[in-house]
Amino acid sequence: MLALFDPLRRITLVSTAFRLFLACLCGAAIGLERSAKNRPAGFRTHMLVCLGAAISTMTGIYMFTERHLLMDISRMGAQVITGLGFIGAGTIIVTKKNTVKGLTTAAGLWTCGIIGLAIGSGFYEGGILATAFVLFIETGFGFLGKFRRPPEFRILVHYEKKQALDQVMRFCKDNRIVINNLRIRSDAGAGSEDASLYSAEIALHPTKSVDRTLLLDRIVNMAGIDEAEEI
Amino acid sequence: MITLLHEFTLTTVLVRLLLAVASAGVIGMDRSYKKREAGLHTYMLISLGAAMTIMIGIYEYEMLLTQWADAVAVVGMKYDVSRFGAQVLSGIGFLGAGTIITVAHQQKAGLTTATGLFATACMGMAAGAGYVECVAIAFVLIFVVVAMMQPLETGFKRRLRNITMCVEYRSVEDLAVVTEAINRCGAQIFDIEVERAASKNEKKPASAIFTIQLAKSNPSHSDMLSTIAELPCVESVQELIA
Repeated sequence: MLALFDPLRRITLVSTAFRLFLACLCGAAIGLERSAKNRPAGFRTHMLVCLGAAISTMTGIYMFTERHLLMDISRMGAQVITGLGFIGAGTIIVTKKNTVKGLTTAAGLWTCGIIGLAIGSGFYEGGILATAFVLFIETGFGFLGKFRRPPEFRILVHYEKKQALDQVMRFCKDNRIVINNLRIRSDAGAGSEDASLYSAEIALHPTKSVDRTLLLDRIVNMAGIDEAEEI
Repeated sequence: MITLLHEFTLTTVLVRLLLAVASAGVIGMDRSYKKREAGLHTYMLISLGAAMTIMIGIYEYEMLLTQWADAVAVVGMKYDVSRFGAQVLSGIGFLGAGTIITVAHQQKAGLTTATGLFATACMGMAAGAGYVECVAIAFVLIFVVVAMMQPLETGFKRRLRNITMCVEYRSVEDLAVVTEAINRCGAQIFDIEVERAASKNEKKPASAIFTIQLAKSNPSHSDMLSTIAELPCVESVQELIA
């Protein structure tokens, strides 16, 4: 550990002020990046979380080292980790498209609180290193998260006999396309008599990128398939 | 080499943090690639935080033995190094609860996200403790389970005789027709749950979720779906796979 910080390991007025300011600073640095991305929890939220967490560990240490109360100094600080889990769960929202938003914000807030705990307990090296890591993760690593696999797509296949559908399913399997969902709809009575009887909505997930028009072309040319289209 | 990491110095702190972030990053990258809710950033942040909790505990313990030893001499020693780390489990549990949502037809989504985060947080704690052996093995296992086992599980479910499907139909009597058709195939019905009751005013069809076990003689899922779809009263049928 750095000897530079040794005078600040004990609870004194100077170290108290230093810890609180450092906690605010680290919280603000992390939060500023979130604010810049216009996320729900901005730099004020992060500062408060970091500051509060720092106070909780400091109070524990103060009661033990300065007031000589027999206690476990980590008990108070430790509860912050659970508490922030709650707050984090509250920031997660479910969108209309049934996806979850705000998980990274929740994780960032949680980690920010832990950095506050480290600073509050006088573990400045860890707190500062972790802050640097968080900033690096949030700014420098963005490109690594941008690799995305080919998207899922849905096709609508009109057919008459169920053997035709089996054929399509086998075709997808042979081409290493995962069938995520299958929904068969009966079209009887909807149009004229020679209209196709059923339509199957198939959600496909290719493991590698595929030419969709070529794929549809192959499916349409199968026996018993009347029509195939992408939705 | 590994025992060098057991010391608690600035270098080992850095190495432990790097270990936590890098291992979680690889798992997170796969999650990002698959466009899951929790991606690269979330995994790295949580692993980093988890590693920090363990190190805060170790740090405070070291301080109690050195800088704060005078207070210990007066009051006595009472400290639990694991307390910070222990709270990570419930903290991430709560966070994970937020990612689990109910989607259409009473299915759940986000369970793997929640449990993946949980396992990664635990791995981060091992990294924070300098338990490199565990991190190395756990990393491989978590990666294999999270990144490679999904097709295996889905494939397994498609081969099972148990199948859950959502059937849309028009009127109340149709439910009996569908039930009869399923019975005729030799399948056994475990459960029928009406999702939306039939009503004459509404344009939306009624729907029910069937949990059935297919006959041993014909365990094909698509055959069953086609048979149900062929019934004139059925609007649509869909298999539900979690």
